[in-house]
Amino acid sequence: MDIKELKGIRGIIAAIALVIIFAGVLSSFMQLEGNVTRGISEEYNKLAYRVAPNNLASWVYDYRGFDTLIETGVIYVGAVVSVLVLGRGLVGLKGVDDEERVVAEPMDLKTETMPVLLKYFALPVVILLVSYGLLVVTGASTSGGGGFQCGVIVASAYLLSVVIYGKRSPFNLKKKTLIAFGAFGWGLYTMLGLPGYLTTNYWQYNVGADLWSWVPSFPGSVPEVLRTVFGEPFKLALELKEGVFYATSGIIPLINIGEAFNVIGAICLIFFAFIYGWSDSEEGSGK
Amino acid sequence: MNETITNLWSIPLLIVIPILTAIVVNLLYNRGRAIRAVSIASAAVLLVISLVSPYGFQWFTGQPGVTYDGTYTFNANVFSWKLSLEYYYGPLQQIMISVMSFLLLFVVAISTKSLKKNFGPYIALMFLTYLSAAAIMMVNDFYHLWIAVEIGSLLVAGLVAASGGGAAQKAALKYTFFSALSGSGLAIALALILGITGYANITDAINSVRINDLSGMYNVLYVSFAFLMLSWIYAGGLAPIHPLKSDVYRSAYPHATVMLQTQSKLTLVAIGLVLLRMFGTLPFAREAMLSISILTMVIGIVMALIQTDFRWILAYLIVSHSGLVTVGISLGTFRGIVGGLFQAVNDVIYMSLLLVCCEMVLYFGRGTSIKFSGGLAKRAPLLTVFVILGTLAASGVPPFNGFQSELILIQAALEQGLPEVAAVILMVSVSTFIALFRAIYSIFLRPGDELQQGSERFKLPGTTLMFLVALVAITLVLGIYPQLALNFLTESALKVVFVPWVP
Repeated sequence: MDIKELKGIRGIIAAIALVIIFAGVLSSFMQLEGNVTRGISEEYNKLAYRVAPNNLASWVYDYRGFDTLIETGVIYVGAVVSVLVLGRGLVGLKGVDDEERVVAEPMDLKTETMPVLLKYFALPVVILLVSYGLLVVTGASTSGGGGFQCGVIVASAYLLSVVIYGKRSPFNLKKKTLIAFGAFGWGLYTMLGLPGYLTTNYWQYNVGADLWSWVPSFPGSVPEVLRTVFGEPFKLALELKEGVFYATSGIIPLINIGEAFNVIGAICLIFFAFIYGWSDSEEGSGK
Repeated sequence: MNETITNLWSIPLLIVIPILTAIVVNLLYNRGRAIRAVSIASAAVLLVISLVSPYGFQWFTGQPGVTYDGTYTFNANVFSWKLSLEYYYGPLQQIMISVMSFLLLFVVAISTKSLKKNFGPYIALMFLTYLSAAAIMMVNDFYHLWIAVEIGSLLVAGLVAASGGGAAQKAALKYTFFSALSGSGLAIALALILGITGYANITDAINSVRINDLSGMYNVLYVSFAFLMLSWIYAGGLAPIHPLKSDVYRSAYPHATVMLQTQSKLTLVAIGLVLLRMFGTLPFAREAMLSISILTMVIGIVMALIQTDFRWILAYLIVSHSGLVTVGISLGTFRGIVGGLFQAVNDVIYMSLLLVCCEMVLYFGRGTSIKFSGGLAKRAPLLTVFVILGTLAASGVPPFNGFQSELILIQAALEQGLPEVAAVILMVSVSTFIALFRAIYSIFLRPGDELQQGSERFKLPGTTLMFLVALVAITLVLGIYPQLALNFLTESALKVVFVPWVP
């Protein structure tokens, strides 16, 4: 839209609408001040010590873990839609003349003009970034990290590597690999709901932490073997003067690994499509 | 059927199967036969699950409800604040999702035959569109509703963009840009509702409003209502956003539009009912919803009447008939809501019939412009019969289904003392007939076109023929025996009117 189009009656209507929206939102937030109801968040906080030490991880991946599964889908779909817009998987009807197809051209990336210093400096940075990403995902339940953050960090390493080294990038992921990463990540996250579903009919019940078997109205039961397989590897001890308390984040760390794969695949795929364009004959950046 | 259970087995499957199918067919990418087999099998399983499933709740991740005395319960009949994300599968969800599953089955069966190579990602988007609409229908949670609407908007753009032409790309990008407002609107509404009530669960939020004294907080309630309504308008393509949505309907292939319009109608129903449940008692709330609905009906039908392309005519009719759905819901009475819900069911069926006929016109004719094509009836008489039957159903002519729902809507408007609304509904019916018959005459019946010169008859593909026959049969059955559908809808309408906190 040209800015000139906003002159005249359209602009006046848009301005009035914006003022009304702004006034409405501002007055609502002012009215809310001091009147915010804590509601269900208090209950979540009461449970905080019983799952992951990082309370946020418990909220995002356990109590509201199914929300996050669909949010993970938003990232996956975002990548698929981006590459569709750029040309991959465009469809046509057999026997019907199509309009001219949209073809995505690669970016004019001239890596040979990069300073030598940058080329020497970039490789260790890429290695450090990937390592940091791995550190972040492994500490998802105990620190302020997680799969999303790991995915974004590793994707930035990929982008840096491609911008500096171009097709000779040492961190060279082909498009099929990236698609597989995304699919594996979202698939893993989804399938981690299965053990809980099979034992309790609750999808994504955290069988490792198994918080609720003791409630009388809880349907189903988690077999010891599942509690051990998903709980023991991520068991943590909290040492206080009152004693040592054990907790496990159960499937949360595994979900984060799935999340990380999904985000790496999705974001790198978007970078890939923008930088290299897309054609079905091209087999990835390495060629 | 036991509605108190909180671990209903079918609900997760209705969400997880589309996800896994989408992942698999996306990976299969260009292996046509495998994609066809996987997608048809998955769609068939989804249809069976939706048909045989009992009713009940799913509290995802198995977190309990917290009762008044601080104890925990997994019984949906015990009053509690929910820690889990809650989905509900009841009669309304059953009929809506079953119809959508049926449509998905035939859409993937038709499209995997008729598309050229590399359609894995495209079929993946179809399944995810199903997922988003199913989630929107079942969820009883503001936060999750927001996520489902967000992913739904993105999927609409993807399905349109996949058809690859410049116009489709433009429509997709435009829609993506503006539909972001829908998600943002819901997010602001969610933030305000969370702030004022403390609960994302819709039932809990309504109960919180009932229990706590919120006098003096009307400003917050009205602003959250306004933003939720904004997202209703954007996600459902109501006026004044109709040009964007009709552009999307027109630009996608007609078989994809079958899924897109179904998703839109389900979204309109789901968010519309949430608006009524949460804000229905606010002064002027229903009047605001009704105004938008009437505007959508009128603008949609007027735009349909002036189009010269069958695809554009259908696109605007879908928009106009969305207004029919929402006008019933906006009336807020038992009969109005039943009429609106029944109209949604009928609408997706007869519009699907017309859209599949439109796709056949693309094959047999020379495009869908009513200026440059004609004489198709001689070469494709069966298709002509189907398109005429679809037109009669869409125009509310007895004994087809459209007649029954439009009659209920007119009765509901008259009961409310709104004869002018009844008149507009009647006008939409008549104008629908005029708009469609103008296109049918030009494309199928107009003599003297060179298409008539050939003697060979165009043969409808087997799957398409089966789909069209099934759709006509459903329009007739629901037209003759509407109780078949109404049995599924009355309970929901009663709950919204009398016990809005119950999903």
